[in-house]
Amino acid sequence: MNTLGYFVEQYVMLAAALFTLGCIGFLVRRNVLVQLMSIELMLNAVNLMLVAFNRQHMADLNGQVFAFFIIAVAAAEVAVGLAIVLAFYRLKSSVQSDEADQLRH
Amino acid sequence: MQAIEALFPAHNYTLLAFIVLLPLLGAAVNGIFGKRLGKEAVSLLALSVMGIAFALAVVTFLALGHAQEGDEAARFFWKGWEWFSLTRSDGSTTVLNVGFSVDALNGTMALVVTGVGFLIHLYSVSYMAEDPGFHRFLTYLNLFIFSMLVLILGDSLPVLFVGWEGVGLCSYLLIGFWFEDDKNAAAGKKAFVTNRIGDFGLLVAMGLLLYYTGGLDWSTIDNNARSLLTPVQVWPLGTHVPAASLLPQSAEAWLNAPRYVSAATLVGLALFLGCAGKSAQLPLYVWLPDAMAGPTPVSALIHAATMVTAGVYLLCRLSFVMVLSPAAMATVAVTGALTAMFAASIAFAQQDIKKVLAYSTVSQLGYMFLGVGVGAFTAGFFHVITHAFFKACMFLGAGSVIHAMHARIHDTDASQDMRNMGGLRKYLPITFWTFTAAWAAIVGLPFTSGFFSKDEILLRAYTSYVKTPMATLTDGGGGSMQSFVWPTWLGTALYAIGLLTALMTAFYMTRLYIGTFFGEFKGWKIVKNWKEPEHAHGHDDHGHGHHHDPSVALEGPTPHESPWQMWVPLAVLGFLAAFAGFLNAAPLHIMPFERWLEPVFEKASQSVQLIEEAEHFEFPFLGLAFLSFAGGSGAAYFIYVMQKGKPAQSFAEAMPGLHALVVDKWRIDELYEEYVIGAVDSLAEFFAWADKWIVDFLLARVTAFLVSTTGTALRFAQTGRVQTYAAVMVLGLGAVGWFFVTPRAEASVDANDDSGVYSLTAAEGLGYSYRWDLNNDGKWDGDKGDFGDKTQQSLNLAVKENRTVRLEVKNAFGRTALRSFNFERPAPDRSGFTSQADGSAAPVRRVGDVRVIPTPQEKK
Repeated sequence: MNTLGYFVEQYVMLAAALFTLGCIGFLVRRNVLVQLMSIELMLNAVNLMLVAFNRQHMADLNGQVFAFFIIAVAAAEVAVGLAIVLAFYRLKSSVQSDEADQLRH
Repeated sequence: MQAIEALFPAHNYTLLAFIVLLPLLGAAVNGIFGKRLGKEAVSLLALSVMGIAFALAVVTFLALGHAQEGDEAARFFWKGWEWFSLTRSDGSTTVLNVGFSVDALNGTMALVVTGVGFLIHLYSVSYMAEDPGFHRFLTYLNLFIFSMLVLILGDSLPVLFVGWEGVGLCSYLLIGFWFEDDKNAAAGKKAFVTNRIGDFGLLVAMGLLLYYTGGLDWSTIDNNARSLLTPVQVWPLGTHVPAASLLPQSAEAWLNAPRYVSAATLVGLALFLGCAGKSAQLPLYVWLPDAMAGPTPVSALIHAATMVTAGVYLLCRLSFVMVLSPAAMATVAVTGALTAMFAASIAFAQQDIKKVLAYSTVSQLGYMFLGVGVGAFTAGFFHVITHAFFKACMFLGAGSVIHAMHARIHDTDASQDMRNMGGLRKYLPITFWTFTAAWAAIVGLPFTSGFFSKDEILLRAYTSYVKTPMATLTDGGGGSMQSFVWPTWLGTALYAIGLLTALMTAFYMTRLYIGTFFGEFKGWKIVKNWKEPEHAHGHDDHGHGHHHDPSVALEGPTPHESPWQMWVPLAVLGFLAAFAGFLNAAPLHIMPFERWLEPVFEKASQSVQLIEEAEHFEFPFLGLAFLSFAGGSGAAYFIYVMQKGKPAQSFAEAMPGLHALVVDKWRIDELYEEYVIGAVDSLAEFFAWADKWIVDFLLARVTAFLVSTTGTALRFAQTGRVQTYAAVMVLGLGAVGWFFVTPRAEASVDANDDSGVYSLTAAEGLGYSYRWDLNNDGKWDGDKGDFGDKTQQSLNLAVKENRTVRLEVKNAFGRTALRSFNFERPAPDRSGFTSQADGSAAPVRRVGDVRVIPTPQEKK
């Protein structure tokens, strides 16, 4: 099936690549701001998958509606996340995530 | 009377609700507000509810008399409300109502309970006036009367049981009324626990009655009583006695032979266990003497006049059930006779005035059971009434004596000890005369109430017996039961024991009477115008802890007569004790009581028969009864007045062992302590051990140790770094993904060894397709051996044929899984148990089993 001139497999591969990039970015970078951006990357990979698969089943638009929900939730998450980062910076004068280890046993 | 009948028709006799609920109202108000209301208000309320309840009981009694014409039994109902319903195993439903009914039997009983109850309330108001727990006492008394009325007026066994437990509770509360003293609290507990054993019997009886008659109210039980004649196999439990085959052939056969009794016998014995607990019969009598730890009015009301006769009432109420089983009736009669004699023997050597009265109560209850057991329900019940009068009078008289003794002796035991009394005739004239009336009744002075009631029981013990019921039904198994036939010697034996007990009663009661009221006063040296040196004297028989030291001669005031609230009840009860016998004076042919109760016992009396020429025994037996009274009292007079107690002393010195044994009440309490309580204690120790080492150690501590160790180990994984956690999540995601892309080849097998058909159903999964190799030729089935969507396959096997079936599954990612199933159809085996006669083969029972041997999973 052709979607906007591309096959769905190509969308899947692109989404997988984006998701893996986000995942690796989240795991290897210590800067919290970069980690937040990595999360956005993973969320957008999922959005892309939802929209691409929804093109295969145009009878209902659940996939696209779901993508909008994710965009809205992601925006809220960024707002809360940045607020936490700000508070964290005031506390530790740092945005390195490995310094946030106070909740250890 | 017409107004009453119009207001309260027989089928909706709401007056019963008033009679029952009035004492509850008194108990509730006094219990909640008693402390604030003050003594006057509390006593006014307690007395007025009792007075009104008594008046309503009189009205009910008169209305019953008016309604009961001829032989027809009159019964008034108040249906109440639906309590709960039970669905039986056959689907039928039994509805139980909180309903009450009154007929001649419980109408009379209600009259006694409210009447004697009112008098004892009046007495208590004065007797307990100084006690700090005054309002609590009257609350309990009112609650007791309420429970007792529920017990006797209830229209079904469950309602009766509520009252039964209620009076048990009140008895417990009142025995332990002065609970600061450990001894009193222990006595209350003993009474309660002993009664529980009996209550177990009553519950079993209820279950059996519900099963066999389909109902628990009196009329349903009555209508279906015949079905209680069904034989019930009671032995062996299960199909055969375990390990009986180790015994010789004849012993094994004897052990394994089924034994049957009728359901009526089971019900009768279970009922009797309940009654023996509540009415203090052998072997459960031990609580009643200890119950004297309660205040004396309690002993009079609960432990003499009303509650302890509940067992007799219940047997009378269910007389139509009891007479269906001569065996149960004989058990009742024999137990009653033995209890009567046994308790009388203990009373010989007691020095505590209340203990003597307690054992005499047990003994008199034995008489009642003897009467009921031989089928003389009217005689047994008449003894309940007369005993309520004379024994309540004696207890209240004893209370009056103790009250007088408390002028100087405050210790509970010393103030009740007969050795401190004597000569009280001069100081307590009213108590003396009323006690004389009660004494005359219990020893059987001619024409007193006890004379008539006791002699009727003795006569009937000799002359009447219970017929064996005609119907001998057989059960489905063809078993039949051996019916119990009343032995001819039993009447003679029962009569002999009863007569001997009458002799003993006359002796020990006269001993008590002489020891208390005659001779010299031994309590203290009487000094005129004596003043108490330190304490104001308390009018209760509560021990204050300072003991009467016999070595120092006490001085004290003249013992004084009790106030009017105490002697008026004494006078009324004394009058009734003396003259109530004329309600049922069989020798004089004045028998209104018998005619009054005739309709109630009509059905039961059809099963009771008299021996031939029974009427010839009446006057000779009267002579013997008079001789036992004269002999017993004369002997006591001779020993304790003419010889000043010397023969009794020399007897004690001649046989110190026997004397000590009787003083120690035959050491039955110690026997129970050693064997019954000891056994329970050992069991408790075992459970305490199990609790300590299994529950606390193994289950609690070991588990806690494992959890905490695991926690300590896992704590190292908790780094607090978000990347570590995220990495674990990624690993988990990978594992879930791997699970989804791995196919699994599984199938459930339905094996039928008899037909040889084996079917396989492959487990489904996301995007699965299947291919099979059923004939085990190494090639996949179907065209070109492609994967298809066929999940079910079946194959036919010949006997002993062996087949391996392969299944391959492919999922959406193109990955495959392979699995083999091995089938073998066994040879048909129809022998079941093989013979063991030759001793070679052990019994083998083969069930059809297919061995499914999955080979290790293969993957491509």
